[in-house]
This record gives sequence, structure tokens and C-alpha cells, in this order.
Amino acid sequence: MRYVRTTCFATALLGLAVGLLSSLSTIAADDKPQRVRDGLIVLYDFAENNAATVRDRSGVGEPLDLTIQDGGRVRQSKGTLSVESPTLIASSGPARKVVEAIKKSNAITIEAWITPANVTQSGPARIVSLSASAVQRNFTLGQDKELYDVRLRSTGGDNNGLPSTSSPRKSLGPRRTHVAFTRDPSGAATIYIDGKSVAKKKVPGDFGNWDGKHRLTLGNEVTGERPWLGTYHLVAVYDRALTESEVRRNFSAGASSGSTDKAADAVAAKNAVFEAKIAPLFARHCLECHDSALAKGGLDLSRKDAALAGGESGKAFEAGKADGVLWDAIEADDMPKDRAPLSSDEKAALRGWLEAGAVWPLDRIDPANYVHAGHAGDVWVQRLTVTEYVETVRSTVGVDIAKEAGELLPPDLRADGFSNTAYNLGVDLKHIEAYGRLAEIIVGRMDASKFAGRFSKQRSLDADKLADLVAAMGKWLLRGPLDDEEINVYRGVASTVIGAGGDYDEAVRYIVEAMLQSPRFVYRVEDQRGDGSPRRANPYELASRMSYIVWGAPPDEALFRAAERGELADREKLAAQVKRMLDDPRTIERSRQFISEWLNLGRLDNLRPDAKRFPKWDARLAADMREETLAFFTEIVWKQKRPLGDLLDAQVTFATPQLAAHYGLKPAGDGLARYDLSKVPARGGILTHGSVLTVGGDDASMVSRGLFVLHELMRGTINAPPPCVNTTPPPTKAGLTHRGIAESRVANVNCGVCHVRFEPLAYGLEKFDGVGAYHERDDHGNELRDDGEVLFPGDAKPIKYKSSAELMKLLADSQRVRESLTWKVTQFALGRPLAAADAASVADIHKTAEQNGGTYASLITAIVMSDLVQKKRTEKTE
Amino acid sequence: MTSRAISRRTVLKGLGGVTIGLPFLEEMLVTRALGAGKAAEQAAVPVRAFNVFFGLGIPSPLQKEGFDGVLEPLKPLGDKLLIMRGVDHVRCDEKGINAHYDGASAAFTAEPPQGEAKAGGPSIDQMIRHAHYPDGLPRGMVPTLVAGTYFRRSRLSRYIHSFNPDGTVAATMQEKPRAVFERVFGTVAAESDSTDVRRQRLRRSVLDTVLDQYKFYTGPHSPLGATSKARVNEHLERIREFEQRAFAVKGLVDSAPAAPVESKLLHGGAADPGGEGIDITLEALTAEWRLLAELYALAIQTDRTRFGSITFLAAGERIRLKGKYEYDGRKVFDFDDAGQRKKSGSNACSHEWWHDFNEKKKNEQLRAHAHMKMREIAYFLSLLDGKDAVDANGKTILDNALLTISTESGDGRHNDIKRELSGVFHAISGAGGRFKTGQIADVNAEGLDVYNTMLAAMDVPGRLGPEKRKMAAVDAIRA
Repeated sequence: MRYVRTTCFATALLGLAVGLLSSLSTIAADDKPQRVRDGLIVLYDFAENNAATVRDRSGVGEPLDLTIQDGGRVRQSKGTLSVESPTLIASSGPARKVVEAIKKSNAITIEAWITPANVTQSGPARIVSLSASAVQRNFTLGQDKELYDVRLRSTGGDNNGLPSTSSPRKSLGPRRTHVAFTRDPSGAATIYIDGKSVAKKKVPGDFGNWDGKHRLTLGNEVTGERPWLGTYHLVAVYDRALTESEVRRNFSAGASSGSTDKAADAVAAKNAVFEAKIAPLFARHCLECHDSALAKGGLDLSRKDAALAGGESGKAFEAGKADGVLWDAIEADDMPKDRAPLSSDEKAALRGWLEAGAVWPLDRIDPANYVHAGHAGDVWVQRLTVTEYVETVRSTVGVDIAKEAGELLPPDLRADGFSNTAYNLGVDLKHIEAYGRLAEIIVGRMDASKFAGRFSKQRSLDADKLADLVAAMGKWLLRGPLDDEEINVYRGVASTVIGAGGDYDEAVRYIVEAMLQSPRFVYRVEDQRGDGSPRRANPYELASRMSYIVWGAPPDEALFRAAERGELADREKLAAQVKRMLDDPRTIERSRQFISEWLNLGRLDNLRPDAKRFPKWDARLAADMREETLAFFTEIVWKQKRPLGDLLDAQVTFATPQLAAHYGLKPAGDGLARYDLSKVPARGGILTHGSVLTVGGDDASMVSRGLFVLHELMRGTINAPPPCVNTTPPPTKAGLTHRGIAESRVANVNCGVCHVRFEPLAYGLEKFDGVGAYHERDDHGNELRDDGEVLFPGDAKPIKYKSSAELMKLLADSQRVRESLTWKVTQFALGRPLAAADAASVADIHKTAEQNGGTYASLITAIVMSDLVQKKRTEKTE
Repeated sequence: MTSRAISRRTVLKGLGGVTIGLPFLEEMLVTRALGAGKAAEQAAVPVRAFNVFFGLGIPSPLQKEGFDGVLEPLKPLGDKLLIMRGVDHVRCDEKGINAHYDGASAAFTAEPPQGEAKAGGPSIDQMIRHAHYPDGLPRGMVPTLVAGTYFRRSRLSRYIHSFNPDGTVAATMQEKPRAVFERVFGTVAAESDSTDVRRQRLRRSVLDTVLDQYKFYTGPHSPLGATSKARVNEHLERIREFEQRAFAVKGLVDSAPAAPVESKLLHGGAADPGGEGIDITLEALTAEWRLLAELYALAIQTDRTRFGSITFLAAGERIRLKGKYEYDGRKVFDFDDAGQRKKSGSNACSHEWWHDFNEKKKNEQLRAHAHMKMREIAYFLSLLDGKDAVDANGKTILDNALLTISTESGDGRHNDIKRELSGVFHAISGAGGRFKTGQIADVNAEGLDVYNTMLAAMDVPGRLGPEKRKMAAVDAIRA
């Protein structure tokens, strides 16, 4: 549908632009830093003139605009609003998004650029307030003569926000001032004036007692009895405590809302156009022939320097005009040669880019970054996969539901290589039926009384006590605090039970049954509202992200407590949590899920080689092959803690006697036994496992095996064969091996362009037949070879190898291969295909992981610590 | 054929011991009654649209032979169909295409795919569904029914052909006749003990609570973005359907028809062993397909569903077919793919005949396969054109609904290296007089324009494809 496509692209472009703007924050023309956006909930910059409404320009969620009660009492000009006589500036309804966000985070920052009119007003006079009356508030930033006073409701104080936190006497004057109040989840509160900390205090408890009905006001109490006079330049509220350096940064950014430098904007926009439109276009249409390896006509469009230098016909293009060899060939449909021409939209984009100056911000275009361009901008809520659901139930209520869940829930299908790909985790009627039935079974196996006792010792049906129970139990089951409405809804279940003559235990059972089917249990719900740019995940969201990435399970109590205390905002404490989590056995199981999915080991269940060609094949061998790969992975990754690259050439494997015999090894032991392969040069590493070798089918297709290596180990891209090609290979015969057939394809002028990139990768595997057995000669008596060459994507020249063992060593040592493993693990961790906008973060992850040994543990740690996990993507609210 | 056709009448008459929810049965009875009396004149014919997909395609030169060639089985329905030649999926015909995958994804969407499990946009049936039922279909109805008989997995758009506006699959594939039966006619278990009234009431309360939560996450205060909201909304719709089925049941009918026996064919991953193909007899293939087609048709006849897709063999299908093929009392061919190809595994599968296609040769095997596919497609269509398929206006469902029949490319023609997906076979029904029928037309137009013309005729305001693209209406297909 057209609006969807437009929105997706616009969002992608915006995302890129915002990302670039973010990275450009230090290069604004006047070196003025950009304001902090992470955690922003509302922002008022008073840019309106003669307007009755003050716009919320946070771009986060539904705008919380404020209405000026009496426009005649204020004056507006150039980003300021002066309150010259008492009036009220207030939201028309409850400031729901502010309350919800801050209750969940248990942290807050209230920030204002103001000029008080005098030093005599008091009450305190309401500068910014979220309150209902003079004695009922969630917070107030006020003026009490010559000091700032902040009242903040918490369970450690009263409903009026007392005791308050105040700045020192005479810290307030009738001058333009930057004032900020922060309070972190541990209760530590600070007042900053002009970037300097001036007061500290403890505000204990949490915000569970906040009132969701309060309105946000400026310049007065909502009842009109605490007026404040003065000038507003900027007001912002965050759902986290800004750090001291962040407060200083906002102070340094000045009183404007931080609209960026126009020149920087323009550069960022041009960069974004290249990344969003031009690089994918080159990757899709041009690099097949004009990359570093082929560089037809001497033109390499994959690298900036080479592209700007041009080819045998001179410069390929002129910045500033649609002219030159490149444009002429494309416009005339002469290029791409023997391929479909560019669409009119693509041509228009190319023309626009050339005419706008042909800005080329990337050193190298990696086509693999653009394979999933269609997903850019989509932010999918993640449903728990079947395995995640089972583990979540086990972790939260201690019931093993694996058998029933496996029977009742439809299986999750693979998409883009993994079955946890969010966009493909849809639901059907069977899911609904299964979730209901499973909830019933789970609750039936629970000791409801004991479970409820974890959260409340008072077995009371009193409404308030039930609300407390629901809040505490729900917070655990649903992986974060509940708001008042949610508490009421679940408490309503108890009311129904009581009305039907039920008792406390029965009420608990039905509440749990409802929670187990709720969206917050079945899905990993996050606040996705925003302006399309990344925002920091709140502590509970982050805790869930971490636990599902590392364990495929919900946060445990320790992680949950860390989230509650706000400790996950501290990178040292965060790293300590990850380290602790990696020691949990569930981490190993999760990593085995990764390799099972990555190598599609489930495929082995359906392997049925032609019985005539492979009369000794036994279906149990397929199961043994899967076990071999899993045991090998566990050995290398967890027991030996070796770098992931070693999966390619570690000289060890695990086999049953039957599999060992199949491989030509002398069987040892009864079950799965360890085999030292240091003296078996042909085997060693996952590519020599039957589980992987069978991807070539009965004919041990070099095309299939080569593509597997290219796609799964090198992040290589290749186009499907062009039309008019018979892709059925000729049969082998005496004097003609698979290698010979492959070499003829590589030598073919039409086929070789692509086949040279992947078939030689499989040359080293020719001695393994379709079911992974090793042979020196084929059925016709032809001698088989295992020498070949590797062309790593992006490289200009291939590297020769003399044997299968050398190929494995090359792959294991390859930076490209190790990067590809990082991409695969990251994709599985995030549950979505990675796109160009992720490339820089993934590069950082890889670098960090490599610096820490290149192990699976170091990689998972780097992923969790990265922006891809710490920050969440948002969708622009319409 | 060995399978006994299931008709609306036989369902109502009842064959044996399985349960059907009474409200559905009542609906069926009402629907039938409307067909005969005064109520019929008052009843509106619902808007319906279904995509019918078959794998591997029909080479364009064979399409030119009309009903004298492989299209012969469609001839009895010729008056009810518009067969379109020269439909080109230009937008999907790009460098690097894989006709089996991209072509299949282009069918009914006219867009290239966006991932292994995602189409490039909505399918036409879903466009029509969302335009005509913006608030959802009548309660309890299956919003979209996706079913098929096929043996090639990997990428989903090889066999699923109904896609949401965001390109995700519109419904879960039902690949066994029994699964179709249960999806359409089965009751669902709301609880383990349905005789306990108190328990039933409490369970209902739980479901109401769950429903409220899903409503919140699809509402204006939801913290979710539009993409996720749409996903949760799907969940909400399924809960409503579940609610209808689980709690609105007034009773069970002992004499309802028997559910189909469990299929003996391979399904799931086992049906596609590593892309190497499976051996299957013509009898086993068509018996299963016809049972599935009958149940699908029954779902339409009884107004249990109004949108969806049905697949007879997937894109790039890999089967080694064996069996005597007869049509209209004459022997057409002896299928023996493995024997005739003298190979094994995937190289012995029927799709190789498409690779071997040569306009100057007889193409005997390909012709037989394509002819057989048309016979089976015609079988399904005929179920919507019989006496059990008469709508309130006295016309058949095939007359009133939009049935779009298409395929992947893989047409074996390969005569233009820049145009792999040209001349993709298409046929449509009249959709209540909106489109011409009784013709084989050379429309020679882009698929996107054909589909958008169809959408315009179906009173759908939205269009497929890029926003800025100028649409070229294909008036030749409109009545």
C-alpha cells in the first residue's frame, strides 16, 4: 500500500539522518553541543508566536501540548514566553505519558531555562508542576523567594511531595538561569544551577504512589492559587536522571531547544541520501561487475577513492550535474549490462544525488549491508518464541510446560535464517487457544498460595491489599511495573472470583491465568513511541532485552533488582550483570539454539538421501550429525572458550561409533565420543561436519555448498542466475568431476562473473560426498581435488589454498568471516535482520568483542553493551 | 477420483460423529434458505476475493494455444473467466530475480519480496478486505483463509499468497484437509471442563480481561508503534474469533459431518527434504488436493470466509510424479518424472521440464503437468459454480466473487533476458459483472496496472506500488 512504503522510506531516511546528526553533534558550526535526547518525554521551546497553545516538541509519543488560559497575560517572542500577570498554562488532560514513563523508570529530570520576574514570589510559586491542588502533586519545581524548591511524591514521602529538596538560599536571582533537578532510581536527588550541582538529597521509595490524573502546568497551580511570574525559555522532563555531564551539556547547549546547525543538517541529509538510496542502488545494480574484484572497465564503484578516480573512460561522474559516463550509460539503459535497467525512480534518485553534489560519505559500500533494506524503519514487537515461552514460564512460576507447549503452540517458522525474526512471529487462532489452555495447565500445577506469598504475606481480599498483590505479582510476571489501570483490570478478575464465592487462592489463580495470556507476557512490549530516532531503553526494558538475549528467558531476581535500583544505567554494574549472567547454564543452551538455527540443523530431521546411491545411509546418522555439531560448538565455545573463528578449523570432533565409521574414523566408545583430528587433515571444523556438508544435496552441489560458505560465513551477496540459464548441472562421468563442471562454469563468460565468487569456496570440499563421507575418487574413478581459492567479499584478489585444511585455516583467520559471525549472532540476539543503519554499531561490537578475545561470551557482552541493545528504535508518532 | 465430494448439502445432512458449533450450522442453514425465498432478494451478496495459485507456470507460447492446449480443462468454465495473456510483472523482473521466489511473491502483489517471509506489499484480496471491511469481518468469521497442497518450503511466498498491508503473511497456512476443517468449522476448547458453568463464567472473565489488555495495546494510548500495533491487532482479532467460537456455542450437533481423516501425505519439513523433492503418485496428490479444495469451497459456500488464498503446488515445486493421467475419458500421459529424467533427487523433479522447455519441441512432459494443474484448478473453481454455490442473487459464487488465478513465472520461455516475469498466466472471474468474461484477452500490460485496475473496479481506494507511479488503467478487462 503506497502510504506504507512512503512512510517506511521516510522513516528510514529520518532514522539515518537522525543517526548522522547525532554523530555530528560535536561538529556543529559553532561547536555548541547538542541537547541530550535520551529519556526525553516532553519538551517546550516556546517557539510559537501569539498562539494559545504551547507545543510539546519532544517528538515522543502523543504530544502533551499546553493551553494558555489567558493569552492577554503573557507575551511571546523569539522562543520565549513571559508570564506578566497570573494565569495558568496547562495540559488539557492528565499528563499520562509523563506519569507512565516516570513510574516505570523510577527516575526523573525536570529542567528549565527561565528568568524569574522577581525574588519575592513564593508558595512555592509553580514554575513546572504535575499536580492537582496545593496539597496533591507528583512533582513541582517552584520558586520560594531566593531559592528553588522541588517537591516530589514517592512512597518514601507524602502526597504533597514533602519533604522537598531546595537549592541554597540566594541561589535564585532575576536572571536567565538553567535549573535542573534529577532523581535516580536509588533515590539520589540533585539540583543543578547553570550546570553546577548545588544541592543533594535522598528522596527514598519509588513512584508507585503517583497519581495518573494530574495535569502538567506552567506558571501556576492547576487551582490557580500559586502563580509564578517570569520568562520561560525552555522546559523539559526526562524519564531518567541525567548525569552531571549531561546536565552540563544541556546547559552549554543554551536556552534554545537545540535545533541543529543548518549547515550540519544539510551535510547530514546528503549523507543520509547516499546511504539510503545511492549505496543500495550501486550495491544492487552495479557492484556485480564494478567491485574491487572485477572492476570492469577499470571502474570500481565499491570504494570511494576508486569511484571518484573513475575507470578506463575517465571520471565516471561529475559532482553537481547529471553527466558523465556513469549517468549516460544508465540513462540510456546500456547499464547494467544484460540486466534489467534501473527504474525511473532509481534514475531520478541518481540524478538528484549527482546534481546535489554527489556526496560520498562511505569509504566502502558493502552490499551485504543493504540486503535487508526493506526492513529499515519497521519496529516489530517481539512475540516470545515457543522456546522463550517455555523458559519464561519455567523462570517466572517454576512450571515445566515444554511438552504441552510443544504440542499446542504452532511452531515458529524461520525467516531470514532464524525463527525468532520478529516480523514473522505472527499469531493464529491456534495460538490463542494454546495460550489459554497452557495458562490453565500452568496454574493447575502451581501452588498459588505459595506463589502469592512471594509478593504479599497478607492473604487478604481487601481491595487495597489485592491491588498491592497484583502490582507486585504483575511486576514480576509481566517484567515491569503495572500502571493503575492494569492493576484495576487484574483486580477485577479477583472481584469476579469473589463474587462467585471464590477464595483468595482461587482469585490468585485466575489473576495469574489472565496475566499469562496478556500482551505483556506473550510479547516483549516496549514503549516504541518517539520521533523515529533511537531512545534509551528504560531499566525494565533493558533488563528484558539482556535476559532474552543471553538466556532466552526473563530477568531473574538479581537482574530485576538491578533494574529497580537503576544500576543498569551504570556501565560497570551493567557489565557485572552480564558477566554474572554468562555463568548461568541457560546461556549455553541459548547459544546452542543460535547454532542450531544458524546452520539450520532442524533440516537434518528431514534428510532422505536417495537410497540407491547411499544404501548405507541410516536416518540415525542425521541425528548423530546434529549432536556432533552441538557438542563441537559447546566444546570450542564454552569448554575451551576459544574465539568463534576457531569453529572453522578446530582439530576435534564428536561422533557416535556409527558416525565415526561413516567418516572413516576408527570408532571409539559407545556413545558420542571425542575424536582428536590433529592427524586427520581432511576433517576439522564445522564445514567438515556432515550436518553442513549435506547442504549440497545428494550430488554434493558445489553451487549450494559454495553459496552456503559465501552467505553464512562471509556475508557475501550474489544475484540469482540470470534468465535463459539452465541451472541443472551436467552429470559427472569418467574424466569429468564436479570440480571440472564447476570450473567450466567459472570460466564461462556469462556465468563466471558470479560463480567465481562462490564455487571455488567449495572446491576444498569436493572429497566429501553428498552425505559427508570422505573419498579420494568419485564413482567413476576420477581423482578428486581439494585445492582452490577464496575471494573474500570486498577484496580485489583471491587467495589460493592447497588443501581443505588450508581453506579452513584461511576462513578461521579471516576478519571477514569473524565479522560475519558477529553479524549472525547479533541478528539472532536482536531478533531482526540487520540493515545499513546498524552497520556502524555492529562494527563497534565486533571490534570490542575481538579486543576481548573474540569469544562467544565477549561477543554477547559487546552486543548487550552496544547501542543496539541499550537503545531502542522508535516509530514517529503521527 | 477416489474422494467423495463434500458439499454444503452433505455437511448439513451430516455423515457422522464430529461436532460443529451450532451457530455456524445456523448460519449455513440461513444462507441456504436465503437462496430460495423472498429473503434472497433482500440479502446482499458479500464482497469476496480469493487468490488461486499454482506452481511453475505456463510458458507463454502454450498460453497462445488457448483451450486447444494445456488450458483445455478451463474450457467448461470459459464463460465465467477472463484469461489474460501478456501480463508482465515488470517491477519484480529485476536483476537477481529468482523466478520461483520473486515471481511467486509478485503473484497477487505485483511487488518484489522484502525478505524470506515478507512480500513487498499487500495482496489484492487483502486490499479488498481492508477496503470493504475496515472494522473487520462479521464476528466469528475466519478473516482470511490460507490453504494449500504443496511440497516445497523454504521461503514462505513460494506457497502463501495472502499478505497484509505491511507485507507479512495474512494468515497461517493450513496444509492438511483436517487443518482446514478445524480452522473453518471446528470448535475451540475454552476450557478443559465445559460442563462446569461457574468455571466457564470465570474463564470468560479472564478472557475479557485479556481482551481488554489487547485493546489497550492497539488503542490511542498504546506505547507501541504502528507496525507493532498492527501485529497486536491481529492477535486481538484472533481472540475475538476465539471468544465467539468458544463461548457463543449454544450446543453441538451429533449428526454433523465427520472431520476428514488424517492426511497420509508428507507435510511440514518432511515434505521438502533438503530441496531434493519427494516421490508422489498422481492419485495421492489429487485426492488430497481435492479434499482440501472441497473444504475450502465449502468454507466459502457457507460464508465462513470471504478472503484468502489457495495453493496447488508451490513455486519451484519439487515432486517426482508418477501415475496415469486421464482427462475427459482419454489418456493424456503417463507421469514418471524420475524414470523419464533418468536421474534422482531434485534433478528428477517435474520442475526440470520447465528448465528444458523449448518452443520448437514437443515439451510433452511439461504439457502434461500444466494440463493436470489446470484440471485441478478447474475442479476447485467448479465447486464455486455448482448448485451448492448459488448466492442470494441467484448467481454463483464464481460469478459474484473475485477469483484471481495466477502463478510464478518460471515459464521456461526465457526469450528476453531482461524480462523473466513477462507473460505470467492470469485469469479472473467476473466479480459480479465488474470484469469481462468469456474471453482470452491479450492485455499486454504491467501486472501492477492490471491489479490496480482490478482494485479500482472493486471500489478499493488504495493502490499497489509506488505512490508517484502513474497508473495506466487496463480498461480492456473491465466490463
